[in-house]
Order: sequence, then structure tokens, then C-alpha cells
Amino acid sequence: MSQQVIGVENCASEPIRIPGGIQPHGALLVADPGSFRLLQISANATEILGPEFALGADLRRLIGPEVETWFGSEDASFQRTISLRDRLFAIVAHLTPQGGIFEFEPVSAAELASLEALNPRLRRLADNIVKLESVRELAQAAAREIRRISGFNRVLVYSFDPEWHGTVIAEDGDGVLPSYLDLRFPASDIPAQARELYRLNPIRLIPSASYVPAPLVPPLSPVDGQPLDLSFAALRSVSPVHLEYMRNMGTLASMSMSILVEEKLWGLISCHNAEPRQLAPQIRAACDFAAKLVALRVGAVERGAHAAQRIRLKQVETDLVARLARADDIETGLVQEARLWLSVADAQGAAIVAGEQVHGVGTTPSEAEIREIADWLRSEPRPDTFATDFLAQDMPGAERFAPVASGLIAASISQLHSRLVLWFRPEVIRTVTWGGDPHKPVIAAPGDRLRPRTSFGEWQEQVRNRARPWSRAEVESAEDFRNALINFVLLRAEEQAALTDQLERSNRELEAFSYSVSHDLRAPFRHIVGYAELLRDRVTNLDDKSRHYLGSITEAALAAGQLVDDLLAFSQLGRASIASTRVDMRKLVDEVRRALEPDMQGRNIVWEVDDLPPAWGDASLLRQALSNLIENAVKYSRGADPARIVISGVANPAETVYSIADNGVGFDMTYVDKLFGVFQRLHRAEDFEGTGIGLALTKRVIDRHGGWIRAEGKINHGAIFTFALPRGNGERGRV
Amino acid sequence: MENAGVSDLRPILLVEDNPRDLELTLAALAKCQLANEIVIARDGAEALDYLYARNAFEGRDPGAPSVVLLDLKLPKMDGLEVLSIIKNDPQQKHIPVVMLTSSREERDVLTSYEIGVNAFVVKPVDFNAFFEAIQDLGMFWAVLNEPPPRGNNA
Repeated sequence: MSQQVIGVENCASEPIRIPGGIQPHGALLVADPGSFRLLQISANATEILGPEFALGADLRRLIGPEVETWFGSEDASFQRTISLRDRLFAIVAHLTPQGGIFEFEPVSAAELASLEALNPRLRRLADNIVKLESVRELAQAAAREIRRISGFNRVLVYSFDPEWHGTVIAEDGDGVLPSYLDLRFPASDIPAQARELYRLNPIRLIPSASYVPAPLVPPLSPVDGQPLDLSFAALRSVSPVHLEYMRNMGTLASMSMSILVEEKLWGLISCHNAEPRQLAPQIRAACDFAAKLVALRVGAVERGAHAAQRIRLKQVETDLVARLARADDIETGLVQEARLWLSVADAQGAAIVAGEQVHGVGTTPSEAEIREIADWLRSEPRPDTFATDFLAQDMPGAERFAPVASGLIAASISQLHSRLVLWFRPEVIRTVTWGGDPHKPVIAAPGDRLRPRTSFGEWQEQVRNRARPWSRAEVESAEDFRNALINFVLLRAEEQAALTDQLERSNRELEAFSYSVSHDLRAPFRHIVGYAELLRDRVTNLDDKSRHYLGSITEAALAAGQLVDDLLAFSQLGRASIASTRVDMRKLVDEVRRALEPDMQGRNIVWEVDDLPPAWGDASLLRQALSNLIENAVKYSRGADPARIVISGVANPAETVYSIADNGVGFDMTYVDKLFGVFQRLHRAEDFEGTGIGLALTKRVIDRHGGWIRAEGKINHGAIFTFALPRGNGERGRV
Repeated sequence: MENAGVSDLRPILLVEDNPRDLELTLAALAKCQLANEIVIARDGAEALDYLYARNAFEGRDPGAPSVVLLDLKLPKMDGLEVLSIIKNDPQQKHIPVVMLTSSREERDVLTSYEIGVNAFVVKPVDFNAFFEAIQDLGMFWAVLNEPPPRGNNA
């Protein structure tokens, strides 16, 4: 016979809130809130309560007029004990849109007598668990006390994981039923809608798993024609699947209390008995109260642990951000502070991805794999901070690096540069012991109805590709760090803007300064020269010495004027914009040579000028550069006869290289670094005139063009200056 | 070309605040042996007073100067402002203006030409070069350059 495995989510289709009947150990009545006439009754009502509890009867007459007071008040529930036909009944009632639902359960006098003992027990439990800081310990204390109160064979405390698998974290039993401590039960054992009902109605008792439900009469509510909603009814009949599950487990009576922490179903306290067992509503209420005490304490302990971890991680984050503020950039800072970076999320590896750049610390996947993760993260919209402890499930192909990155927190820092900060946790291979094979939750034979599993034998499974889950505090810490980084990035951008402003301002100031220098500094030199000349013209009978003095005054002032002009040219060069065109270098050299002719009178110079390739640049600036170099070659070869000046050029694919060589006095290579500095001179002023700015100016021109310049020399063996200019876009590659 | 008689020579207006530059410029002009009278204004406002025959120059001999030698940096109102007023006034704009400046600042040159300067001279440190420049300018503007025809409305 072929069998098929069906998800228990099929259970979701079962009408668990509107089963149409109740468990038969009590009776249920629905009364109209105005007339107190009975609208619906359970089929066993007349048998249990008496023939007068018939449809249409007035409930005030049957159980007393105080019912009316209850209906008029805000109090949502009604609980008391009454005597009917010499039997004691506990009445629990609640109001619904379909009428007031009254549930009657028989209680014994002995049970009522034992209620006296409940108070001290509950107080002791409260005193006990307040001292406990461990969830397991307080679950254990609750299991022990609830078993004493309820008298069931075994009490289990489950806690749910995020996937709703339950683990038994505490157990108290008398040995009649097997121990399930530390076993895991699959989420399918308690379907989603049952979990929701547990959240709404925190306690449920099934005194006998072999009961036959008592149907409601009439089946549909006369108020709205719908089946009666029994969500909040204690006697609500449960799913036959569940009863079968109980019988398969060997438990004929069960009671469950929900542990709600911050309105979420945190766990269950589940009581079982091998034999059927009834429990008075008052005792059930005490058990429920005990469960609530546990829930409060669990909430407090977890919040405390969360807060403690949060504070610790906040300190780490604050420390790290402070250190990053001193780093050159985020990437460098993070790598330097690897330990803190990892601690932010208590991770074993971390990486920052900026575009294609990856910087990692600790144990991480390879750079290529990190880029793959980043691409996957960017492939679709995700929360700014994304966390998983099961990356292989989320990301296709992630099994490959599961050993180092089963856990991932990804924080997106900037969309613009697609910057991501990642934390990794390695795979933790765990062995989980299930109470039965979780992969075979239900078995349905063709044509057969849904059946729960029958085996609760231990079933071990290795959990792979999973990391230790990130705690809420760790994810929040990563979020905080992300926000800090974003502020940091913004701050850096602001600082940059402020710096640019400042630079622009000081540039303007410098410009104003050099402007006034150019006007005011030149004037006095002009005046000195002017008056010296006027004096020379006026006094005709000067002796040679006086004439020499006068000549020196003029020369000195002229030199100073030249210095001012050179300095200005140099400072202007920083600001001048480059107007690039194709420049005929051969023509430029010829022009410069013509301009230098006065300096070359009486000199014997042999020129060797190649057919120079054209350059790409600003013609007037290049003329200045070339002029300085050629002027130097002429000047420093003054002592050579003949002087040789060789100018050559070659076009390489990316740049054009020119050189100017002479056979003059050369220079000591020791000082080559100083050659291109402002006011750096390697010769005495009386040997070679000059302001010491020419080569600095030349280098600046070449730099502004994106090129380079080098000098080589040897004392008394000449010098060679070589410079290169990048080729223009249109020129590139054409040799 | 009509030869202008000595008595027809209109004055040169020299606008210069720096006393040394003034003295040197006058010496240079004297060297040129120009017959033109040289009128001196020490700032931009005075220059305009002369051109518009007002304040200190009220009731001066009528007629525009043959050339204005205008320093760029002047107290009260600088050379560029004076130039701009002259060149924007239809009655004055034909007067040749030569800007004299210490500076090689490119923007001054550009601005001056935009406003309509007739020549721009950077005062060289070398006095001989300065002398030659002044001589050339004086000869050209004060003697050789014909003012535009005055038309019937003169």
C-alpha cells in the first residue's frame, strides 16, 4: 500500500474553534444576554444538570438572579460554585457576540477542600522563581510545583525556537510516563492555528482522550446562524487528530498552559496523565496563574540578559566608533580594530565591501565569495540590516562556504557606493534528538483520513549549515553600528566640504596677496632703477667708481624686479587653467632660440635639434618650460667651446618624451632632489645669474600637464633634462 | 594728413597717485620733448573732474585731452572705474586711454580691453624700457593719433 507524507498544515483546515460540540465531562449553555433564555445547550445538559435546563428556559430562574448583575457589569468572566440536585458544579461563564456561554463542571467536596492549600503553594513558587536567573532552573521549579498542584503523572516545559520547534527544557514526573527531557518536537505537532488558540486561551484541559463529544443543540447559533465560536470555552471539544496523537503518546489526560512573553507564545507547560484525570476549574486557574508567574519571570530574565548584552555591545560599538573617527578611512580603521569589529556582533569573521573592494578580518569566505554574497544581497531589496543563521537556505550556493559563513549579518552603509558591512559565523554542526521523526509528521493512506504520527521514539538528526543564532542584542548592535557608520560617512563628507571651502578661501586670499604683491612690490624697484638712471643722466662727470656703484644699484633692483616677476609667474601657474592643443615643439624651440639670441652673442654653440614630435598641451606654458630649460643649457655651457646643445624627442604610445642636453658645468647628482625646488640653486650667484625659480616653474608646468621631468648631470660633463607629456586623446597610440 | 599746429596740441591727462611714479613718468615725458601740456590728476575722482570740467577744474579751457595716461590702482576710484565711465559716455569715449600698471595680472589686462582701453602698458622695472614705452605712447597718442572727426555737433 502506498503511503504519502502530508504536512500537518492540513490540520489548519480543521474547524478547531467551531467543533460543534464539547467534551462531555461538563455541560454548556448559551443564554441570551437580555432575556436570559437559553439559546443553545449541549446535548448532555439535561442529563447532567437536570431536565429544567432545556432550550428557552430562563437562566435566572435556574441558577439565581445574580447572573443578571454579572451581565450588567464590565466583568468579562463569571465563576462560582453552585449546588444542583445535591451535586456541586463549578460555573465559568464568558460573554460572546453569540450570547453568554456558561460552562458547568461537576466538582467534588474533597477537591474544594484542597483549594485551601493552593495559596501557600503559589506564593512559594513566586518566592522561589524570583531568585532564579536561569530560564531552565525556573522552568524546573514551575514543573515541580505545577505537578504538585495538578497531580498529573508528568509535567513538561517546552520552549519554542523561531521555527516553532519545541524543546523540552524542564520535566517533573512520577515515573509512570517516559521522560522527554531535552527532546525536540517538530513545529508540525502544534499547527499554527492551534498555537494562535494557545495564545488567546492560555489553558486547556482534556480529562479523557477517549471521550465522545456532546454536540450542541441546535448546531447553529440562533443569533447569527453560524456555528458557535468556542475559542474561549474550557469545554471546547478538541480535534480528533489531537486525541489520536494523545492516545499514540500513551496519555489519556492532558492539560496545557501557555507561557506568553511580550504577548508571544514563548512556550508551553504540558501536563500528562496515563489515566483520565479531571481537574476542578479553580485548580486549573491556579495552574494557569503559576504559568503566568513563570512567564513574567522568563520575560524579566530574558529582558535582563538582553539588556546586559546590549550594554556590553554598546560599549564595544562606542569604543570602535571613537577609534574609527581617528582613522584615515573606515576600511583602514575597521581592519586595524579587527577585534572590536568582530565583537560588535560577536562574530568570527567580518568584511566590508565597497564596490569591488573587499577588506576582511577573522574567518571569512574568500574575497570572490564575499563579492558573491554582496551581489546576492544587492540583487533584491532587503532590510538595511539583514540577519540569518541559515545562509544556505536563503542564498543559493551558499553551502560552499557554510563552514565559515552559515551565519550572516549584512548592514548596508551607503546605497550610492554599495558599501556593505558583513559579519560571519561558522557552521555549528549539532545533533538534535527529536521525539519521533520530524520529517514524517503525519501519514495518510489513500482514502484514509489524516493521522498523527504513532512513533515517539528518539530520532537523532545532524543539523548542518546552521550557525549559532544571532541574539536580538547582536542584531540590534549591528544596526546601531550601521547608523553610527552612516553618520560617520556623512560627517566625513561634511568635513571634506568644509575643507574644500577653506582651501578655496585661502586660495582666494593667496590670489589677492599675489595680486597686491605684483602691484606694490615691483614699484619700489622701478623707482630705484628710474632714479638711478635720472641721476646718471644728470651728472655727467661721474668717476668710474661712482658709475660702477650706480650700475650696481640698477642691476640689483632689476634682479629684484625679475625675482618678483618670476615668483608671480610661478604662483599664477598653480591657478592658470590648461588650454590644451597640439603644439609644434620644433617651432617652439626655434622661437625660444630666437628670443635668447642676445644672450648668445659671442658664443660658439653647436645646436643639434631633432625633428621633434608634436606635444599636447598649453602652448604658452610649454614655451615657458622649454625656454627655462634651453636658457639653462645656454647659460651653464658658457665655459664650453664649442658648447653643444642637443634637443631630441620621441613619441611613445602613451607619452611624448623630450630631452635637452648640454656639455656645460653639469651638477652633482647628490643634489638632484633640490634641483626642482623653489629658490634652490646649485651654483654661486656670481658664477651663474638667476632667481632659482626657473626649474621649479618648469616642473610645475610639466606636473600640471600630468607629465614628469628628470635631470641627470655630472660635474663638468654637462646635464640632460628629460620630460614627458601624456599624449592627447586623439593622439594616443599614434606613433 | 593735416598737420596740427603747436597751439592745437591738446593736453595729456596723467592720472597717477604715486609721487615717485609721477616724477619718473614726467621725466620720461620730458625726455620725449612733447610740447603738450601735461595735466596731473592724483586720483580717479580728480581725473573725472578734469574730464567733466567740474569742481577744481571748473571753467578750464574747453576740449578733451589728447590722451589719458591712467594708472590702474588709484585712491577713491580705481583706474578700471574711471575707464568704464569714460568709455560709457558717448561724449568722452573717443578720448584715447592708455592704462599704466605695475601688474602683469592677466585679469586686469582682460578687463581693461573689455571696457575698451586703447592700450595697456605694464610699467617695466627697467627705466629705459619705461622711457621708451612712454615715448612711443606719447608720440603716438599725443602727436600722431588723429582724434576722430568731431562732426557738426562739436
